[in-house]
Amino acid sequence: MHPEKISLVCFFASYVLALVLELTRLLRSMSLNRWAGWLAAAAGFVAQTTYLIVRSRAAELPPLLSSTHDWLLVLAWLTVLVHLLVALVHRQIAVGVFTLPIVVLLVGASRFVSSEPNPIEEAHRWWSMAHATFLVLGIAGVIFGAALSVMYLVQHARLKRPQSEVGGLRMFSLERIARLNWWSVIVSVPLLTLGMATGALLTWLSRTSPQPISLWRWSFFVSGAAWLVLVALFGWLLTTRRATGRLVAWRTLLAGAFVLATLLTLGILSGGMHGAAKPADDVRLPAEPAPFVRTVAVLHP
Amino acid sequence: MNVRVVYCSHSSADLSVRERLAFATDEQLTRAYDELRSRFPQSEHVVVSTCNRVELYTAQDTLAEAPTSREIADFLAEFHNVPVSSFRDELLEQSGADAVRHLFLVAASLDSMVLGESQIVSQVKKSYELATRSEVNGPLTNALFQRALAVSARVRSETRLAEGRVSIASVAVGDFGKGIFDRFDDKTVLVIGAGEMAEETLRYLQQEGVRSITVCNRNAERAQGLAAAFGGTVRAWDELDVLLSQADVIVSTTGADRPIVDAPRFRRARAVSSGQPVFILDLGAPRDFDPRVADVDDSVFLFDIDSLEATCRRNREARSLEIARAREIIDEETARFMQDLSHKATGPIIKQLRESWHEISRLELEQLFRKLPSLTDTDRQAVERSVERIVNKLLHPPLETLKDEARDGTHHGLLDAIRRLFRITEP
Repeated sequence: MHPEKISLVCFFASYVLALVLELTRLLRSMSLNRWAGWLAAAAGFVAQTTYLIVRSRAAELPPLLSSTHDWLLVLAWLTVLVHLLVALVHRQIAVGVFTLPIVVLLVGASRFVSSEPNPIEEAHRWWSMAHATFLVLGIAGVIFGAALSVMYLVQHARLKRPQSEVGGLRMFSLERIARLNWWSVIVSVPLLTLGMATGALLTWLSRTSPQPISLWRWSFFVSGAAWLVLVALFGWLLTTRRATGRLVAWRTLLAGAFVLATLLTLGILSGGMHGAAKPADDVRLPAEPAPFVRTVAVLHP
Repeated sequence: MNVRVVYCSHSSADLSVRERLAFATDEQLTRAYDELRSRFPQSEHVVVSTCNRVELYTAQDTLAEAPTSREIADFLAEFHNVPVSSFRDELLEQSGADAVRHLFLVAASLDSMVLGESQIVSQVKKSYELATRSEVNGPLTNALFQRALAVSARVRSETRLAEGRVSIASVAVGDFGKGIFDRFDDKTVLVIGAGEMAEETLRYLQQEGVRSITVCNRNAERAQGLAAAFGGTVRAWDELDVLLSQADVIVSTTGADRPIVDAPRFRRARAVSSGQPVFILDLGAPRDFDPRVADVDDSVFLFDIDSLEATCRRNREARSLEIARAREIIDEETARFMQDLSHKATGPIIKQLRESWHEISRLELEQLFRKLPSLTDTDRQAVERSVERIVNKLLHPPLETLKDEARDGTHHGLLDAIRRLFRITEP
């Protein structure tokens, strides 16, 4: 077994296979396609974990700090983890139909962003770690909210029509989806706020470093706008009295889609979260780790 | 082996006949088994009695010991104290492979009033268990009923016969209600009217945990009867608007000739509600709720009898497409079961016959070899092989004929003849 030979293609293919098997449940849900889909996703998850560990060791940085490529893969990894757990507990629910497309999108997008290890100011390593962790958890929450919203809207449309469940497309009840959706937003927005705050702190701390970070960058403004959209959704959810589940689902979906689009666009257009403009052409390990530059890293969605 | 079933079901007999012949309680059935055991001591018995069928299965080693359908009819008449003439024409009879196939069809729910319904499996299982407890079954009925349950499971797993709900109330609650609500124990159910459909729907809702039921009907007496049956409360008809604003689930089955709730009225009720999702089952014909009520807001889910019936019909059609495949499985399993049985029935005789002929040839060869001591070992082995081939060739035609007969279930006469011709005693 050679863990270093595991490439992005391995787990990307596993997730695509898992998604295809999950889609066959729309025709007919059987134990066979259910378990085959779960195992394919689990195999991808194991391969992805190994890939992240190997890269992390090579870069001598945790995956969250290593590069934009790794950071996106951690986000996908979290999504797969939740998918596997939910699919195991609720075997009848076709959760993969809603989560696996996002996983495939994130893993696919990670191919086009920078795989250069991020420069880290050693003195602020823990602040950087907190910044990256808050952001990845917050964005994962937003992604689950968006996936749940899609499930809500499909279920809502089925019940309004009304129509029986299609094949094996069994979903959670509207009541449960609305509850989970509400919590995903309520938890993720404070996490994102903490991520933004730690990012601002790191920017301030960088003023005395050789390469201070300027706030006057267009990527900062776009990220800030995405965050403001989520804060607005958060405030609306907490203050509104008669919001229907469908309205909440639409707004969460739009906000989630905006955040995801912002994240991927910034990652791809600027090569990395911090402007390291080298796409991950080589999705295997870099032959030589990038030189370690002592500057402050600031991730932002 | 002889298996026979004498039965009447929903397809052959009226409910009035089935009611008279049914064994309503376990205690009554236990008494019936005692009576059957005393009348037909050589037979094994299993009775399957449900609201849709009364079936009496008997099994025994030989045809001579089998109770005739007339004797079974007499037993039913005397046990239930009804004249034979009142049901004799509605009793059906199957025997051998047909009886086996019939049980497999019943257990797989192909003979049910609602195709693919799951209740029959547990009913067959319960019947078999009661027969076991009463010690009236035996190796033949054990094998038969255990195989029937296995066949039922196979049909369910390999076909879509049991997929999709097919009754209005089950579709309403199972397909749609559970798509809206995660739980029902914290929901308030409002029943408008007190029709039969309301009762059936409330039964399903109670199974899901509903505790708070309010009945609102113009006729207070009927409302009280329904409320008492389900532990609900009765509210006056003029409180309907308030009740509409408080309910999570509304089941309406009035006999009104025009909608009793139109969109403006329901909008007013929603305006003072918390805006929670509301699940409305309009089971009235004509409708009790104006269809435009569904458009009052996003959280109103209105289902009328037509939309529910359309779902039931689609599910029934989907199930009926699976009948041919299910029948194939049952035919295959019936043939396999009969083959297994015939193997069990003829195996010991065939074995004994072979052993006895080979024993005779061995003894004769020993005598021959004593008389011819000059034979070498090679010569002896050649002679032994020739004699063995002769014995096998002589045995082959009668044994093949016996196996063929056994496959068709008509082997009893031939088996008896072989026993007598070759003086084979039962092991």
